[in-house]
Amino acid sequence: MYLLWLRVAAILYAAASVAVFPAVLYSLSRWRKICVHLGGLALFFHFVSVVEMLVQAHRWMPVGVREIESLLGLAVAGLFFLVWWIYDAISLGIFALPVTFFLVLVPALGPDRYTFPSEGVRVSWLVAHIAALLISYVALAFSMLASVLYLIQEQRIKSKLKPGQDSWWAPFEWLPPLDTLERIAHATLEFGFPCMTVGLVIGSVLAQETPLGASYFLDPKIIAAFISWVVYVLLLLVRRSAGLRGRRAAYLSGAVFLVMIAVWAANLFSHVHRYGAQ
Amino acid sequence: MTLALIGVNYKTAPIELRERIAISREELPETTRALAAVPGVSECMIVSTCNRVELLAAVDSPEVDLTGFLHRYFGLDPALLAPHIYEQHDQDAVRHLFRVAASLDSMVVGEPQILGQVKEAFAVARASGTVAGQLEHLLQSAFAAAKKVRSETEIGANSVSIASVAVDLARKIFGSLQGRTVFLVGAGKMSELAARHLVQQGAGAILVSNRTQARAQRMADEFRGRVIPFEQLHQAASEADIVISSTGAPHPIFRPEDGQAFLHRRRNRPMFFIDIAVPRDVDPAMGKLEGIFVYDIDDLQHVAAAHMAERSREAGDAEALIAAEVERFQQRQRTVNVAPAIVALQRQAEEIRQAELRRVQSRLGALSAEQTAAVDALTRGLVNKFLHPPMQALKQAAREGDSERMEVLCDAWSVPVGAEREAEPPAAGSGWTGGETEKAEGAEVSESSVESSR
Repeated sequence: MYLLWLRVAAILYAAASVAVFPAVLYSLSRWRKICVHLGGLALFFHFVSVVEMLVQAHRWMPVGVREIESLLGLAVAGLFFLVWWIYDAISLGIFALPVTFFLVLVPALGPDRYTFPSEGVRVSWLVAHIAALLISYVALAFSMLASVLYLIQEQRIKSKLKPGQDSWWAPFEWLPPLDTLERIAHATLEFGFPCMTVGLVIGSVLAQETPLGASYFLDPKIIAAFISWVVYVLLLLVRRSAGLRGRRAAYLSGAVFLVMIAVWAANLFSHVHRYGAQ
Repeated sequence: MTLALIGVNYKTAPIELRERIAISREELPETTRALAAVPGVSECMIVSTCNRVELLAAVDSPEVDLTGFLHRYFGLDPALLAPHIYEQHDQDAVRHLFRVAASLDSMVVGEPQILGQVKEAFAVARASGTVAGQLEHLLQSAFAAAKKVRSETEIGANSVSIASVAVDLARKIFGSLQGRTVFLVGAGKMSELAARHLVQQGAGAILVSNRTQARAQRMADEFRGRVIPFEQLHQAASEADIVISSTGAPHPIFRPEDGQAFLHRRRNRPMFFIDIAVPRDVDPAMGKLEGIFVYDIDDLQHVAAAHMAERSREAGDAEALIAAEVERFQQRQRTVNVAPAIVALQRQAEEIRQAELRRVQSRLGALSAEQTAAVDALTRGLVNKFLHPPMQALKQAAREGDSERMEVLCDAWSVPVGAEREAEPPAAGSGWTGGETEKAEGAEVSESSVESSR
């Protein structure tokens, strides 16, 4: 049954992804309502699907690539709606809703064929480790997106664009105010940090319990994860102490995001931390 | 019944004349009642703004002297007012009212205040008991048309004054202006106007600095702000999110190095410089600094002019919308005006049916209740089916304003063409078709009764 709910959610996400464009680009309030309602319904069905999927499998953790993708999609959609609710910034939906749709599309096609076979990872703390890290990744992605949009909006205002004038910046009329983008970038960054810390701490404790013990931490994937955490701390400190914003903040967020992608990709190469690893 | 509209506006009369007949909010109810007391006026209202004074009335005939009321009430020489006054009737008056409400007749086309002012004038007239069905119907249609213009065109989408363009830009940078600090450097009229706009949008603390301390103090008092001595200008500027500069200094007073110092002290929080001084107070190079936005008077004027041109383009679409709405209103009025003829036709047919039933009753003998009901339903059905084509033809002719065809149809069925309402004041329905109406008995009908007769 969870697949049915996930497919319903995927269709609703697709519809919301279509509706968000006229809502944002042409400031059409009717489309905005349609988009929010469709997206809200999609989030609800998505949540139901994820819970049912985990309950049916008699475990409270996602243990396959598709399950993880679905959970990541849920985190993206959830954070988008949180940002929309707090900052009234539906514009980010132009990115968040299609991304969520594509994240949900593959899991909605069918159940996972490959899962973690290891019994060792099937402890309930693992779900907290995965969820916390996924949320931190999504928060960082939102922060970077908001920083990039900040740069575009800044250049747009500085270009002194007149209505009807042909310019690179003309299509970005819909962007939220600079201050809103800055607050979103900062708030999502601060929100993601405790999630990443909690995720890494839980992961470390779980790793200690495995037969590999302390040698688990010599794996490149694990080392990269800790490096990304250190870079994250640096980014937060620099932003806080120097009031960093604009171009430099966007570059720094981009750097942290790249490290994060590398850490994610390291799952494919890690000997101890990957799907299908014993 | 005729609709009459007379008035003067910014296009026809100079301010010296308009201010002599301007009616304050307090005087409006009394003046409206005085107008209603003019013989021949059955309903009326007055729109009085800084740009126009217009009297709108439903009158018994076009000869009712509304201009005379203006002369008498305001004690004006008729020769003084005559060249500036305009007078419109029926369809022209409807079109004028729709255009006014939609802000197509405003000095700044698309400005939103006029609709509120017309609504307020209508509310005053309603409270004074000088409007009933006819003006009620007309004004509701005018409000609907104005709303349609605003929602279906971009006529009011962008700001066209320099001050409001500056506010829009500030919003693009800061989002909400709630609690933002505004620094007025130089106490000129333009900066005062811009500051007023910003304060209306929620801007918080106001700082004022001027070479003449007394002038700075006067403006600071007005905005409940704080005076900054001109020598401490650069120290205080970093406190401000928005700086409006309009001094008469011959050289820039804000340079890039100042901007860098401001950003350092503000920990890179953005600043918006609105430079309305000529020669400029802010070195344009400062706009290159990350986090500092500089707009001079030319930049603001260019944006305002582009918005104005956009409005002019939208005004074309809005005019077409208004023309369609006026036509729709007229059509509704014409359809409603045919209602008495339709009611008369139905009544006539019903009388014939009843008479025929009475005539054959003796031949039918005693009928059971079911049989009586069946005969009744049969005859009623026949009559309704028979009446359907002429009723449709009448309504079609009314919609098209084809009075000749209406007369032919009514003659053929021996019913009067139209009727005036018996009850006073008139209810929504009778209107200004430009055509003549005849009195018909029992013509207390409304648009809904026309619908139900279909």
